[in-house]
Amino acid sequence: MDEYISFEQVPFGSDDFADNPESRCPCMLLLDTSGSMGGMPIRELNDGIQGLKNELQQDALAAKRVEIAMITFGPVSLESDFQTVDNFYPKNLAASGDTPIGKAVAMGIELVNQRKQTYRENGVGYYKPWIILITDGGPTDDWSAAARMVQEGEAANKFAFFAIGVESANMEILRKLSVREPIKLKGLMFREFFLWLSASMKMVSSKNPGEQTRLLPPSGWVDL
Amino acid sequence: MIWKIIGQSVIGTSHIQSGKTCEDASSFKILTLPDGEEALILFVSDGAGSAAFAAKAAEESVIKAIDLATVLIQSESAFNDGILQGFGEQLYDHIERLAKEEQVPKNEFSCTLLGAILLPDKSVFIQIGDGAIVTSNQDGFFTPVWWPHNGEYQNTTAFLIDDPNLPTLKIKVLDSAVMEIAVFTDGLQMLTLNNETESVHQPFFEGLFPWLRKASSSENISILNSRLIDYLSGASINARTDDDKTLLLATRQ
Repeated sequence: MDEYISFEQVPFGSDDFADNPESRCPCMLLLDTSGSMGGMPIRELNDGIQGLKNELQQDALAAKRVEIAMITFGPVSLESDFQTVDNFYPKNLAASGDTPIGKAVAMGIELVNQRKQTYRENGVGYYKPWIILITDGGPTDDWSAAARMVQEGEAANKFAFFAIGVESANMEILRKLSVREPIKLKGLMFREFFLWLSASMKMVSSKNPGEQTRLLPPSGWVDL
Repeated sequence: MIWKIIGQSVIGTSHIQSGKTCEDASSFKILTLPDGEEALILFVSDGAGSAAFAAKAAEESVIKAIDLATVLIQSESAFNDGILQGFGEQLYDHIERLAKEEQVPKNEFSCTLLGAILLPDKSVFIQIGDGAIVTSNQDGFFTPVWWPHNGEYQNTTAFLIDDPNLPTLKIKVLDSAVMEIAVFTDGLQMLTLNNETESVHQPFFEGLFPWLRKASSSENISILNSRLIDYLSGASINARTDDDKTLLLATRQ
């Protein structure tokens, strides 16, 4: 006679899974900390970044998947290199100096390319990197080379570049710098913007036909 | 009863959060052949998350694939590259027609498709896009039929509807039988395959197949099939993937 097995009781399915590193979703923030951002704007920006961390951290997978880096300008400085959200401790940013957007964008693109190389060398899968520029002014340096790098990178599907203008930002130049239409932030709604960013990054893993970067519809924080 | 098969498509936590439905689909069929032997057809599909008709595309492709394969078996067709390319093209035409009916661009019906047609003396494997098929013979050691290929980015892959010439269609025909097979969508890839060594993570399947081998009645199989839902939607798997996930398991042992 066959042995009796209670199939309701057997330990069906193992918790022993392949130990692959989580795929990464790199996000490079290029943040204007020039003198004109002093006061309320820089405070709201700091709160917004903290909010971004808190939001992503509440999502177990996003916390392991999203990597944030921060470049501030000016002068251009790598405030925080790519870190998963768990290890991302944004320092309070202070406002001073001019607005070397061209140099910041070039450095941001360079670091994103290096990061991808690191992923590849370590067999880590990744999603399309996002580069997000936030400024309340216009470039005080030569930005033509940066604009070319953005164009080439977007055309080759290397990253998605978004420009967000705050208050008196020079939207005309942002339009020339970014292939995608720049977005004007309504007032100082950094918090709403970063909430939207975190929500968009959480759904980044959904499969894409074509190469377009899919975002949630921006709501509330856009000045139309 | 020669083939014993269970399979489920289960919604991922990210799809639940965003109010979407499960956009994976799976289907299988056992055909009794004139000589009393059995043929097994099994297909799975993963609808592209950003395609409006992802769920319908996935559902329709697996059903159509089963139907077309059934006709091929019943007409005692040969299984060569030409016939199987034609099989792929009929699937493409079917999905393209659905997109026309809905009056949407065809990429709103983007989905992957992978599966197998298993005959007593022949094994046919077909795949477009990511996900994986793994098989084993007597020893229960699983190897991948193909190593899955994503694009540069983790969420880009090839879809059935991309190109009418199906340049990404992969076909493999073996003049031998397989004893066991598992087919799954990419929601389970990171848990079941070791990227570094490009090998199957055996413990994952060692937790499942022994019980299916021991199942001796359709009642046993149906219990395991409902337990597969619990397993695929359980906390330990959800901690590792937020995507929809599909797993088909079949054994003739």
